[in-house]
Amino acid sequence: MNKSHLFPKLFLTIMKITLQQLSICLVFCTFSYAHSAYSQFDLSKTVSLQMEKAEIKKVLSTIEKQVNVRFVYSSSNINTSQVVTINVNKKRLDQVLNELLLPLSVEYLVKENRIILRSNQEVGTIIPTPIVINSVNDPVVENNVSIDNTIKGTIIDENGEKLPGVSVMVKGTSRGITSNAKGEYSIAVTDDKAVLVFSYVGYERQEILVGNRTSLNVSLKVDNKSLSEVVVVGYGIVKRSDLTGSVSQVKSKELNVFPAANVLQALSGRAAGVQVTQNNGAPGAGVSVRIRGTNSIQGSNEPLYVVDGFPISGSNPTMLNNADIESIEILKDASATAIYGSRGANGVVLITTKQGKSGKTKVDFETSFSTQTLRKKLVLMNAQEYATFNNLQAVNDKLIPFFSQAQVDAFGEGFDWQNLVFQSAPMKTTSLNISGGNEKTQFSISGSFFGQDGIVKGSDYNRYSLRTNINHKVSEKFSVNLSNTITKLITGRKDSEGNSRGSSMISAAISAPPTFDPYNADGTYRVLAIAYPFVATDLVNPLNFINEQTNVINANRVLTNAALIYKPIREITVKISGGVENADDRTDNYTTRNYFLSIGRASVSTSQFISLLNENTISFDKTFKKIHSISALGGFTFQDFVSTSLSGSGNGFLSDVTETSGLSSATTPGIPSSSYSKSVLLSYLARVNYGLKDKYLATISVRRDGSSRYSDGNKWSYFPSAALAWRIANEGFMKNSKFISDLKLRASWGFTGSQAISPYATLNQLSTNRTVFNDALYTAFAPGTRLPGNLKWETTEQKDIGIDFAILNNRLLFTADYYIKNTRDLLNNVVLPASLGFTSTIQNIGEVQNNGIELGIDGHIFTGAFKWDLNANVSFNRNKVVKLTGGADILGGNVGGIIVINDVTNILREGQPIGMFWGYLEDGYTQEGKIKFQDLDGNGTINQNDKTYIGNPNPDFIYGINSIMSYKNFDLSVFIQGVQGNDLFNASAINNTIDIGFGVNMPKEVLTNHWTPTNINAKYPKISRNTNSRVSNRFIEDGSYLRLRNIQLAYNLPVVKWGIKWINSVQLYVSGQNLLTVTKYSWWDPEVNSKGGANSTSQGIDHNSYPTAKSFTAGLRTSF
Amino acid sequence: MEKSFSFLRTCFKIVNWSTLGAAFIMLFTSCEKLLVEEPKFMVVENFFNTASEVESAVNAIFVPLRGGNFTTYQTSLECQADFTYGRGSWAPLSEYKGLNDANISRVASLWNVFYLSIRNANLVIQNAPKGKSISKDDISKYIAEAKFMRAFNYFQLVRNWAGVPLRTEANMTEKDLKKSTVDEVYNLIVSDLKEAENALLDKPSQVGRPSKWAAKALLADVYLQLAKYAEARDKADEIIKSNKFSLVPVATKADFQTKVFGPELVSTTEEIFYFKYSRQLGQGNYMLWITNHPSTNLFNFGGAYVVYGQNTESFYRTWDDNDIRKALWEKVNIGLGPNTLISSKFADQKAVEQLGAGNDDPVYAYADVLLIYAEAASRVNNGPTPQAIEAINQVRRRGYGRNPTSVSPVDFVLSNYNADSFLDLVIRERGYEFIYLGKRWLDLKRTGKLKAIIQESKGISVVEKHLLWPIPVSELNFNKALDPAKDQNLGY
Repeated sequence: MNKSHLFPKLFLTIMKITLQQLSICLVFCTFSYAHSAYSQFDLSKTVSLQMEKAEIKKVLSTIEKQVNVRFVYSSSNINTSQVVTINVNKKRLDQVLNELLLPLSVEYLVKENRIILRSNQEVGTIIPTPIVINSVNDPVVENNVSIDNTIKGTIIDENGEKLPGVSVMVKGTSRGITSNAKGEYSIAVTDDKAVLVFSYVGYERQEILVGNRTSLNVSLKVDNKSLSEVVVVGYGIVKRSDLTGSVSQVKSKELNVFPAANVLQALSGRAAGVQVTQNNGAPGAGVSVRIRGTNSIQGSNEPLYVVDGFPISGSNPTMLNNADIESIEILKDASATAIYGSRGANGVVLITTKQGKSGKTKVDFETSFSTQTLRKKLVLMNAQEYATFNNLQAVNDKLIPFFSQAQVDAFGEGFDWQNLVFQSAPMKTTSLNISGGNEKTQFSISGSFFGQDGIVKGSDYNRYSLRTNINHKVSEKFSVNLSNTITKLITGRKDSEGNSRGSSMISAAISAPPTFDPYNADGTYRVLAIAYPFVATDLVNPLNFINEQTNVINANRVLTNAALIYKPIREITVKISGGVENADDRTDNYTTRNYFLSIGRASVSTSQFISLLNENTISFDKTFKKIHSISALGGFTFQDFVSTSLSGSGNGFLSDVTETSGLSSATTPGIPSSSYSKSVLLSYLARVNYGLKDKYLATISVRRDGSSRYSDGNKWSYFPSAALAWRIANEGFMKNSKFISDLKLRASWGFTGSQAISPYATLNQLSTNRTVFNDALYTAFAPGTRLPGNLKWETTEQKDIGIDFAILNNRLLFTADYYIKNTRDLLNNVVLPASLGFTSTIQNIGEVQNNGIELGIDGHIFTGAFKWDLNANVSFNRNKVVKLTGGADILGGNVGGIIVINDVTNILREGQPIGMFWGYLEDGYTQEGKIKFQDLDGNGTINQNDKTYIGNPNPDFIYGINSIMSYKNFDLSVFIQGVQGNDLFNASAINNTIDIGFGVNMPKEVLTNHWTPTNINAKYPKISRNTNSRVSNRFIEDGSYLRLRNIQLAYNLPVVKWGIKWINSVQLYVSGQNLLTVTKYSWWDPEVNSKGGANSTSQGIDHNSYPTAKSFTAGLRTSF
Repeated sequence: MEKSFSFLRTCFKIVNWSTLGAAFIMLFTSCEKLLVEEPKFMVVENFFNTASEVESAVNAIFVPLRGGNFTTYQTSLECQADFTYGRGSWAPLSEYKGLNDANISRVASLWNVFYLSIRNANLVIQNAPKGKSISKDDISKYIAEAKFMRAFNYFQLVRNWAGVPLRTEANMTEKDLKKSTVDEVYNLIVSDLKEAENALLDKPSQVGRPSKWAAKALLADVYLQLAKYAEARDKADEIIKSNKFSLVPVATKADFQTKVFGPELVSTTEEIFYFKYSRQLGQGNYMLWITNHPSTNLFNFGGAYVVYGQNTESFYRTWDDNDIRKALWEKVNIGLGPNTLISSKFADQKAVEQLGAGNDDPVYAYADVLLIYAEAASRVNNGPTPQAIEAINQVRRRGYGRNPTSVSPVDFVLSNYNADSFLDLVIRERGYEFIYLGKRWLDLKRTGKLKAIIQESKGISVVEKHLLWPIPVSELNFNKALDPAKDQNLGY
């Protein structure tokens, strides 16, 4: 134990000493560099060489001296010790290089003032092929052969935009040029057998036989899988090939394939190791995300979301419209997340919004319309069955039957309350994005609307957002950028959930007696609570919720981030940024005078949140002596979080006209309330990436965070990480492999933390209350029921090994990762005996471990006219409570709101997974038809000692499969996502199957399959109000599902063929969401999480949750 | 545009890079202060300094019992009376087979309520003496209020759960605490009340705070429970002799609803210790919702009618029709047959919400004192005394609309009763007087008449386990000093 901590401790000490100095050093380093200008090296410079039997490296270094250029190469790839004789006088360098390097199968490319040499054996030609990048307009190689034919043409991208700077080479020769600003090129070829090679970074390379043509227009396709593609990481970007950590990327195309209120819904099934669960089906409902399992018990397990560099608050980035997002990167291992220190333990989701590109102004317009319907209706008793059922109960409980046989016979089907409550509802999305710019300034502006009506009447979610990104180059050294998002969210909620016996909207929808319709003869609402004497007083006519109660949330979100970037020299970037996240929410609740027993009830509550961020970073990027590439980052950040709230209420209004706008006219004003909280996070961060010969990569990072939330002396903590990667594919022995196109091994280790507690959690806060003396209110002060404790950081240590593997020229890409995460000093709410008065406290109680495997495969199965891309990912995570203080169990997750059972449902026990369902095992029925529980300790009575594990909410594995097929103008995409092996606790079934005698309607099978003396193995016990229920395995169900999340058929209008010049592309599509779900789960939907995402002990509980919809969508995507 | 950029450019040229470096160093060293939390609320450690701070902490002792909680307690007890039935989820209470799951959960929440109130009392008892700007008198007064309330809570706990963990200021932070015996609990109750009796004011600053007399009344009730009849009699007698209290005369049923239990009363001459409610949001008496049926129109927010009676019961049938209190039991058709009775004792048509009725909860009224006296005096004397008869007659006369203190034709006559029959008489009179206050079940249990009377009135034999409530699972789960098998009450 001590030993294993020794290294980190030592490391921390060293870091502590050096970090501050290092940061300062980096600042001053800036000045020691001379300002030197860079431009493309000119290959037409001449050299004179007379060398006999000299090693090639000697020749190269002589050239370096003559023309002030640098050769960059790896001596393991290129045999530079070969001896040559050369004798040239004032000969052009390109010609010299051709002669010199030709026999060695070495090609070269010019990058500013460097000439990079690389082995050309892959191409299989002995003639070097210089590829020139970053050189616009100038033909770099003039041919010295006779010109037989000149080919001209224009190069465009997929969207029809002209591509400047594309390299055009005649295959097998040294001849090549780059396209000009209009995307035009012109090149001479010797004969009609010549092959032109078109290549451009980020695009698929194309080789075309010239034949007898004189003009050749080319359209290059974006190479999505390009290894040179950049990936966004914390405080920077890195080439995918240089990644040392585990990072998944999801692109905008995948995020926008179907309309979703929350971008996280679109993330579901897209990346290995990322589990996305919609808490319920309500419009705008929260989504919980787990990256590599559950680490924390007390704290949120939601990842940190960083939008364009700004770490935002809250667990869902709802301010953004999906169409505004360019890409999402998910940082999973410690090497990637440790730079976010105390907030990185649950993974980090980096969201990058769309930026403008220089070139022609582009207009993108997308719109869609969907119809949603209830995915699945529960099969409930009809009126006649309901009456029969209640009579049976009366007989069994020795009461007089409530209905005569004649009444029962007359009932028939009765009223279907599900049809009343759940409707078919539209969803609309529209977005318009305009982007473009020039060399100096690029912009992207977009406006969008998302509107979803819920399948429960009156519920909806509307988002209006306006986003602007502007980049401007002030000078060669200074640039500024600004990104700004303004969003308004209007949510009408009809999602009163949970509770029992029809006292919440969702519960009422299935509990209301089918023998009644919602209205009395006079048109007033029927009062179900007194409809029959046996009906629970809690049962509310659902129309009360639907028509007479409003709950509207108006939220304004602003996220602004501005940065000033200073590059004193090419290698150094100083970035000073400031940002603001502001959230103003206002919730208006009104209950009309028509609501059951209401005199009008109004409340308005507002909350304001503001977070200020200042980040100062300096980064350094340089390659030394051609083999050591170093990029380093150092910085200091400050972020504060201030929340305030204010609310008021009133009861008794003369008219419903005023709604929430007339609190002052309430007969009884409520007591206003307000609150304030503030926390501060200070951080120092540093990271070094080191690459040796493009084969060995290392990353070391450290962040030191100080948080105001922790006790004195425990406020600061270090979060270091280290990673190594080995690009085996770049080793000499792999160079010749035709089969393997990329192979990389990665290993990483690091610490991250979690801000698991809210501000002031270590203080024994007094809360205000009221009591009455005389006939007046008096203030009371007492602590809450949570006993404060002395707390320190919760830290997660993660180790990861991974492999990236590509074969057949990157046609199949394969990624696998294995990780172990150990979370120590776990903070948790520890329940105290109620007699203490304090019912809970927070303590650093123990340690949990997650370990797992993630596999991802990405294939381009067919690439011809019929194209088929298929990618799939699967992740296996196992978690385990390793240690708890004193080995004591922690019980948590009271069902809550259910009258018949008031017990915990989950347990944390050493050696077991987190959040195991904890309850009684049933053992058939007694002779009276009551539920029998297993007496595990054999002491003759059933008590807590008989509780055991009855289920596991953690899945065995989660997966996603995405297939995109295209043929001619048609695209068909199918997206399947699933979860396997998790259990759900169906708390909804407690009241609606076992809580008998309260007039609550139930599934039909409770009537058809209950205990009788002749049916002793029935699913349900005897129908009696004395049914004994406990938290038992009866309510545990298999929550596995496989879902056809989206299927889409799209048709791309052949606008080019039709000769419409002003349109780039038009796509029409139809799609369906959630059309098919394969599951054994009996209630609404297996994708459910009633207790919300942040909670960890009560995952997998379904308690009268707003059901999920299925939908059909038609839409248009177009670009001008 | 260009101009402003060139301005920026100039600015950056001017920036002296070494000052920026210095600024960095400044940042590193001065930020530490930012991490100190400065909350905008009060914390326990800095509280309890002034009289008003301590008083607000005393007020917090009452809070857990409010918001319908004490009403729920009274209702749980009332459903077990011989002349009432629980409806819906409360029905199993009237079946006397032990509590079912719904009622186990319900009484578990009551356990939490009593202990939260006890914790708040313990905080006052522990911290008030440390106060810097508070007088000795105030300290002793507030501690006395806290001890009164602590005793009150333990008195409820011990009668329903028997032995319970005894949390005082001395062990209030010990997580694991074993059960104390019934005697130990009563010892604390009595010693707390004795201290309260001495230190409490004759007339507190507001009605609703415990007075010296409230302490005496509660102590008398505790002695009665402990069968220390002489002490019970003497405590009750001190209150009677003080001449500070008298029954409110009534003439009609409506007088009861307005002058005795009315929503608009601030106080009455018979108030000794009431839970005070007001027509405020969340500050009203929940009993009106619990008892009323929407069709009674006595409460403008409907009602759950969870407790009801039957006019076929002997308790009702043998009740004299001239007793106005009988008229408060009204026949209401709630779908449970034509014989259903619902009490109209509590009425408020101007409540502001379900939990917003103004009627106070008469926890200890002068009638309690008179009837405690009557019973205790007769027990000590082994037969009623003239003072005992007078005490019960005052209650009876008022019930009949007579002057409580003048001899009347409805009076009981001393010579008609011996010790046993007088006890029956007092218990019956308590039944008439205290409907819906949760006293009947405890009276029957205390006097050992419970099983016989339930058998007689309802024909049900009470299962032994029904006599006590189960220790909550939440206590057994987390209090490691308790053994779930041995420490649970019998039968659960």
